[in-house]
Amino acid sequence: MNSIADSFYSNKAEESIDNEFISKKLSLTPSLAMPPISKPTAFLRAHTDDNTNPDCKIKIAHGTTTLAFRFKEGIVVAVDSRATAGNWVASQTVKKVIEINPFLLGTLAGGAADCQYWETWLGTQCRLHELRNKERISVAAASKILANLVYNYKGMGLSMGTMVCGYTKKEGPTIYYVDSDGTRLKGDIFCVGSGQTFAYGVLDSNWHWDLTLEEALELGKRSILAATHRDAYSGGSINLYHVTEQGWKYYGNHDVGTLFWETKAKEGSFNNIVS
Amino acid sequence: MSDPSSINGGAAVAMVGKDCVAIACDLRLGNQSLGVANNFEKIFNYDHTFLALTGLASDVTTLSEVFRLKTNLYKMREERSIEPETFANLVSSTLYQKRFGPYFIGPLVAGINSLTGKPFVCGFDLIGCIDYAKDFVVSGTATDQLYGMCESLYEPGLGPDDLFETISQAFLSAVDRDALSGWGAVVYVITKDKVTKRLLKTRQD
Amino acid sequence: MDIILGIKLNDSVLIATSKAVTRGISVLKASDDKTRNLGDHSAMAFTGESGDTVQFAEYVQANLKLFSVRQNYELSPKAMASFVRKELATSIRSRKPFQVNVLIGGCDINKETPETSLYWIDYLGTNVELPYAAHGYAAFYALSLLDRHYKPDLNEEEGIKLLQLCNKELSTRMPIDFKGLRVKVINSQGVKEYDDLTAL
Repeated sequence: MNSIADSFYSNKAEESIDNEFISKKLSLTPSLAMPPISKPTAFLRAHTDDNTNPDCKIKIAHGTTTLAFRFKEGIVVAVDSRATAGNWVASQTVKKVIEINPFLLGTLAGGAADCQYWETWLGTQCRLHELRNKERISVAAASKILANLVYNYKGMGLSMGTMVCGYTKKEGPTIYYVDSDGTRLKGDIFCVGSGQTFAYGVLDSNWHWDLTLEEALELGKRSILAATHRDAYSGGSINLYHVTEQGWKYYGNHDVGTLFWETKAKEGSFNNIVS
Repeated sequence: MSDPSSINGGAAVAMVGKDCVAIACDLRLGNQSLGVANNFEKIFNYDHTFLALTGLASDVTTLSEVFRLKTNLYKMREERSIEPETFANLVSSTLYQKRFGPYFIGPLVAGINSLTGKPFVCGFDLIGCIDYAKDFVVSGTATDQLYGMCESLYEPGLGPDDLFETISQAFLSAVDRDALSGWGAVVYVITKDKVTKRLLKTRQD
Repeated sequence: MDIILGIKLNDSVLIATSKAVTRGISVLKASDDKTRNLGDHSAMAFTGESGDTVQFAEYVQANLKLFSVRQNYELSPKAMASFVRKELATSIRSRKPFQVNVLIGGCDINKETPETSLYWIDYLGTNVELPYAAHGYAAFYALSLLDRHYKPDLNEEEGIKLLQLCNKELSTRMPIDFKGLRVKVINSQGVKEYDDLTAL
């Protein structure tokens, strides 16, 4: 087993890359190719960051609503599935929850590729931890691996806002918020993405600790629905998860196209709609 | 994105059929990413001539009022309603009057000439260049998507019911691929002696 | 960021505005009133560029007053909104535009049964009639909450409850203290004023 672990542990980055931005101390990072120009970060920002340069030609997929909250019976994770590049709806079927392992979930907001790549990478790190220590990694440790990693790339244009959710014996159900600034927070309720405020609006006004599982799943779904409705950059369908002592369980994909009208009829809500 | 023509979002399309025309628009009014209203119709009629206005919502309202004034004055002087072709020229000259400080809109005109019975549609750029078309015209933040859908679904010589089906399918599919359009849609099908208005039940994301 | 909210009820309209005036890192005033009455049965709440806001509101107020004195009747809320919209739409293409966003709530008493309405107008001159509305960052929290909890035909008491729910959410999630909300209730009787929502 250790030889397998070692083969992953050996690091080529130190030999091949000699770049001021990559800390040589961090042996965990795989090597990422740098363009052969004087200021790669400034170059990247000029061509891909539509915040600082709205006319940039390369639009990286953005826009999301994701949420996770703790309650009596564990954690509910809910996300939308829309990816946009500018005003173009690039996809309505994105998987924004990454199943790191049977006990850990990561949510995806911000740069789609950044989140997908690094959370998959986090999965391998968590597995290696298990092989080395004969024990499942804690949520705290897993989230810290990710936080440390993104911190090493700070200022280079990584864009991610993620929640690492999981259950371990010693921690119980735990949520850590990690973003590309390097912020890492433990908490009970987090909403991340362009539609976060809309999700908070519904979640805060209906959340309490003693929610039943059914109520909690409904609330998670309803909060994302609220966000998909008001936020132009969120939509598609909703993916639902529940995390417990037994690990996570998937609670289905719910298309907003039909869910919206069902919810409106059931609750008598969304009274701004004409038809 | 502080481009005035894509702050509020919205899309419209018009199509020619056999002795009929159809014109459709969405109902969304937004403020960048935030959806504000879903009752904002972008199609206005001046008797039997229909005008769709997409773009900056403020200018949409302003222009719809300007044309209400102008068509009312026209009606009083001429003692008849304005014809679509004439109205197209009125739109064009009105827009060009603001050549150096334009209204940020994308107008479409559709209607059936009450004298000849000929269907008519046309589009414009924001300073009044008329784009005469014999099939369809599109406008708004989902133009790329609308061109794609119309080019593939459109066929000439459709009757009112088939034209409604075609324009609706094309419009809904296009609008679902644009973040700033949607939130409901309206379709007008215009024949020589009847106008039908239908509200489409659409996705609300 | 200032907060202005409006909710249309069965026979009245509620308008809530934050009481803080903030300049830089200081709160200059904690009892500000960001509304002006446009007539006996309508009021306008405003936010935007400091200076512009009050100047614009009082300019509109004075012109509508002048109209009612000259013509001996008051404009309907719809007509007032249309007037305000046109002022802003003209202003946006001027050398120095008013950067003001407003909500107008009113009750049209000249209809057979008095009719309430709420208008959302931004500095560009965009005007829409809505059942509930908000400007600025507050909209990002309050609208989804109102989408969930708003019902048509709410009475005044239920409307106040709904505003208190919004206030609670805004207090927890907004990054600065907005010093509570002032409320105006507009119905066929006129305009009532309450200087704190939580006291209701």
